Amino acid sequence: MTDTFAADLDSYRTALRANLMRESSLHAWRTRHYATTEERIADHAALMGELYRQGWNRYGWPVAAGGAGGDERHRAVLYDELAAAGLPIPTPHLLLETLGPPVSRFAPELAARYLPAYLRGEEWWGQGFSEPEAGSDLASLRCRARRDGDNYVLSGQKLWTSHGATATRLVCLVRTGTPESRHRGLSMIMVDVDTPGVSRRPIALASGDNELAEVFFDDAIVPASRLIGAEGQGWAIAMYLLQYERAMYAWMSAADALRRLRELRDQLSTRLAAGGTLPGAAAQRLGQCYSQLITLRARSAQTVRRLAAGATVGPEASVDKVLLGGAEIALYDLSRDLLGPEFVFDDTATVAQWRSEWWYSRSATILGGSAEVQRTIIADHVLGLPKEATV
Amino acid sequence: MTSAVTGFDAATIELLATSLREVFTAHPDAQGVAAALDELGWDEVSASDPAAATTLLFTEHGRALAISRLLDDIVLRELTPALPAGTGNRAVLYCHPQHALLLGPLDDITELVTLDGAGNVGIIAAESVSARPIRGFDPGSGWLCIDEIPTARPLLVGDAGQRAVAAARRALCAEIIGICTTALDSAVAHTTSRIQYGRQLATFQAVRHRLAESYVAVEAARAALAAAWADGGVWTARLAKLRAGQAQAELMRHTVQLFGAMGLSQEHELHRRVTRAAALDLLLGGHTAQADEVGAALLAGADLIRVVEI
Ligand SMILES: Cc1cc2nc3c(=O)[nH]c(=O)nc-3n(C[C@H](O)[C@H](O)[C@H](O)COP(=O)(O)OP(=O)(O)OC[C@H]3O[C@@H](n4cnc5c(N)ncnc54)[C@H](O)[C@@H]3O)c2cc1C
Repeated sequence: MTDTFAADLDSYRTALRANLMRESSLHAWRTRHYATTEERIADHAALMGELYRQGWNRYGWPVAAGGAGGDERHRAVLYDELAAAGLPIPTPHLLLETLGPPVSRFAPELAARYLPAYLRGEEWWGQGFSEPEAGSDLASLRCRARRDGDNYVLSGQKLWTSHGATATRLVCLVRTGTPESRHRGLSMIMVDVDTPGVSRRPIALASGDNELAEVFFDDAIVPASRLIGAEGQGWAIAMYLLQYERAMYAWMSAADALRRLRELRDQLSTRLAAGGTLPGAAAQRLGQCYSQLITLRARSAQTVRRLAAGATVGPEASVDKVLLGGAEIALYDLSRDLLGPEFVFDDTATVAQWRSEWWYSRSATILGGSAEVQRTIIADHVLGLPKEATV
Repeated sequence: MTSAVTGFDAATIELLATSLREVFTAHPDAQGVAAALDELGWDEVSASDPAAATTLLFTEHGRALAISRLLDDIVLRELTPALPAGTGNRAVLYCHPQHALLLGPLDDITELVTLDGAGNVGIIAAESVSARPIRGFDPGSGWLCIDEIPTARPLLVGDAGQRAVAAARRALCAEIIGICTTALDSAVAHTTSRIQYGRQLATFQAVRHRLAESYVAVEAARAALAAAWADGGVWTARLAKLRAGQAQAELMRHTVQLFGAMGLSQEHELHRRVTRAAALDLLLGGHTAQADEVGAALLAGADLIRVVEI
């Protein structure tokens, strides 16, 4: 069975779809609302455990790392079919998509050791890139890793780490070169959160959700065997990672967004059927938003296939990211405008979810490189324009 | 399913594009274009890979701002098997709520096949109407308008009418994309060579970001068109046309700005791209009207199909 699905995407899709419709053990996840992010992640992790037990979320990951073979397309199909079946894409998969590929590629032994537990939902990881003084300008980061025999000693701080407060491990970009070495002096390393000297504090988004955390390293000792790739190779690996953070994340988000648009449409149709009205231009914006999401899928599918074929997508992934940002912002602004007073004043779980996702959707043009940064990448590396003037 | 991926390799496409460019520069009129394409054996090229050939043909058509009746050919190819035998040359009359449009004069035409955005089809005698040249936003189009249309003999053509609309919309997408590509290329070239404040305009971030956004808009339209070809359906052709219309609106707004005063001048050719793209956007349904219709269909309960599969 395993081998057929790995080699034959269509049979994987068909079997998965049938199973998601039929499997009563998954039904509970269709309708749940969560009071906190911690609760949501934990419950979604349990969903991963179920998907792992049945084998579905193992496709697309290397056999040596607990996977069942296949490639990026299998993962894309999983997200798509979950969304189509009205199931959530488990929250820990967001960072799995970002961190799984570089760890599998550049540190296969770490992937073999820890990725199976991730796929089972027993642990999840955080991405420690941003710092207080290194946001868009990532290459200016300062968190230090000083080599000491077989270990690195980490000191410094990471900020805005998604799921950082509950993650088991952090994949961090740290400075192993001189303070002025910019992108040349960076390395990537995996840190266990229970390492002495590591402390963290959750950060709530405006919605009240603890999506993020800040992490402090106070001479935390991390074995050199935890390096991902070689010392000094951090920037190159980060660029490899960003293709996934931009392209796979876009596909995944588009799948979820289409499900949410369907739900919004249903809510509005119900209102219309009850004799209610919609604000002006509602239909036009709905049609526009749907076409944006389909276009994003069209573009993103091409990119996912290229990644699956082993191609380097590079700066072209920024196009996917810009399209995603536009589509997500449009969808959630639409929900806010069309739900209107309900969005602002009501206290139902359904509306609370729209509100919290509205806040989260604002990050579509910030995380993984802001909308402005993506445009600059396209200008530099796709259009080949002369370099930006520096004052 | 028509494939957009099989068929031609990159070298063949480049070769074909070059030939088409020559055809469109050498022949400023519909007859000349038709004859030159015959000589090129375009029908054969087209038969071997309709998706790639049509996209290429109309992209170059757009780049050259060519005038032809090639779109009629696309429509009639879908409709002819479903129509009664003709008595002479046919042309298509594109019917919109307020404007019925012809892509060229009625000189040697005996019958007009009417087609609207919903795929309704009829036939009227050409001699029963009078056409006036359009002197509107895009004076160079060579299109004509018919103000009074006798009631057409309505025809039951099954889904051929809708297929014709879908095929025409895919061709129009390619044409709009072609126009956008040249406008973007010219804006890149212009902002790279023009110096203000002692440096190239393209070194200013505000300028670079407009160019990047324009690029994203065209790439989005391209992806939507590829999806429309892969799926071959009516719904996806409409979504692609919506995207292409949206792309030209965004891209032209940016490029006109980036050329400064020059972009508004008669002398510079940018305005011809702006106006042609606007006219093509409206043919068989402009992007805002399309968005309206799609949204209304969704509110009425249409399935939010995902169109694209991995
Ligand atoms: C929900 C969420 C989750 C996140 N998860 C993670 C995570 O898991 N791991 C992690 O490491 N980080 C994460 N981040 C952080 C994210 O990567 C940064 O927020 C992002 O890189 C931007 O950095 P900044 O917030 O410091 O903004 P800044 O870099 O200060 O930018 C502020 C504004 O200035 C603009 N700007 C900056 N530089 C330029 C320029 N050169 N030209 C034009 N405009 C510019 C930006 O576009 C932005 O609009 C997350 C952020 C959010 C919101």
